[in-house]
Amino acid sequence: MTCEEFQMADLDGGLTAEEGPLQQAARQHLLECPHCAALHENWQVLRTDLHALGAETWEAEAPSRVELRLRQEFRIKHKTLKRRRIALVAAWALAGAAVVVCAITWFNWRLQQVQMASLLQTRGVQSTLTAANSTGSIQHVNPAGPELGEALMASNDSGDFTLLPGTMPGSLDDSTVVHVQMQRGALGALGLTVNEEHAADWIQLDLLVGDDGQPQAVRLLASSN
Amino acid sequence: MNTGRQPGEMQIDSRERDDVLLRRSANGDEEAFTLLYRRHQGPIYRFALRMTGNTWAAEEIVQDVFMTLVREPKKYDAERGALGAFLYGVARNRIMKHQERLPREIPLLNPEEEGFAGYPQAVDSKTPAHWAELRERREHVRAAVLELPADFREAVALCLLEEMSYEQAAQSLQCPVGTIRSRLHRGRALLLAKLEMLRDTPKRAIGTR
Repeated sequence: MTCEEFQMADLDGGLTAEEGPLQQAARQHLLECPHCAALHENWQVLRTDLHALGAETWEAEAPSRVELRLRQEFRIKHKTLKRRRIALVAAWALAGAAVVVCAITWFNWRLQQVQMASLLQTRGVQSTLTAANSTGSIQHVNPAGPELGEALMASNDSGDFTLLPGTMPGSLDDSTVVHVQMQRGALGALGLTVNEEHAADWIQLDLLVGDDGQPQAVRLLASSN
Repeated sequence: MNTGRQPGEMQIDSRERDDVLLRRSANGDEEAFTLLYRRHQGPIYRFALRMTGNTWAAEEIVQDVFMTLVREPKKYDAERGALGAFLYGVARNRIMKHQERLPREIPLLNPEEEGFAGYPQAVDSKTPAHWAELRERREHVRAAVLELPADFREAVALCLLEEMSYEQAAQSLQCPVGTIRSRLHRGRALLLAKLEMLRDTPKRAIGTR
């Protein structure tokens, strides 16, 4: 056995293990090598000291304040996490609700467009309105003012009306016919195209006014054309 | 070797339970975290104490190690080893950082000072002179252990002080058993050399450090 082999065996407690060929060789080496014998002796002393040193702290544990601090930190961390999760869920719920509202609005708008298009297809682009309510005799004051020379007419006329842009044909049932005099240029405000050369001309026309007071269709009188 | 109370062995047996506890802890179960802490804090604290020789530092290291479990529980991958080995790995990093913060030249701590004040002292029924000699020698051993390079000190702390088997120490330090034996062998040689020197001129050695 070499000194290196002896030292490794000694480190592993080879000399104190059960008797075997390795132990016999180690004992033999111990008798023959004074250097290893001295090392072995020192090692035994050191080993005892190390054992005693280890025994001093075998039961050592972290002070209880460490556990308290950690538990406090744990609680704070998970409380914050919980709050963050709630905020996240709320944010996603709000975002989802906004998307749903937008989708419903868009769907309704599209539905209106489709209904409008199908109606215009059946009646033609310049649909004539024959079903203007002619039963009522309610008369309205034209908001344009008396200086335009408006005259309130009975609403029992039936003629060819042109729907103003954005008007739903179905909403004309309870409308009223109002006879007004206005400058031709004012037709532009109703969404109709106006020849600028004649914008200043005074014209007379019939407006079909809905329940909400908004004009829904217009009919130019023959004299003003 | 003492195998009845080895943390490494316990970690292998309870590995699955550690996983379960850690998962519960990550989901906010404080009781699971407390169980995990109580199971592993002792070995980690002793390891840190033996590596730094300072109770305050050991306490701080234990806190840092378990704070990692609180803040980043997903850092631990059960497939890569036992939770105990992971905690030892985190503790080693913290110990290294602690050592880096220390000045390069440090005096040997006086046993009465703060660093060693936390160590329980052995009670001996022999004569006061014998007790004093024993205590002085133990302080020299302790100081010599603390002066070892970190790799050797880890092997000495786990195998000779904590009395883990080579396999358990290798598992904790995540290195081969041969590396542990080699470090232990060289650590022993250094310890013997240091203690021989201290034995010859104890006062001069303490005074000049």
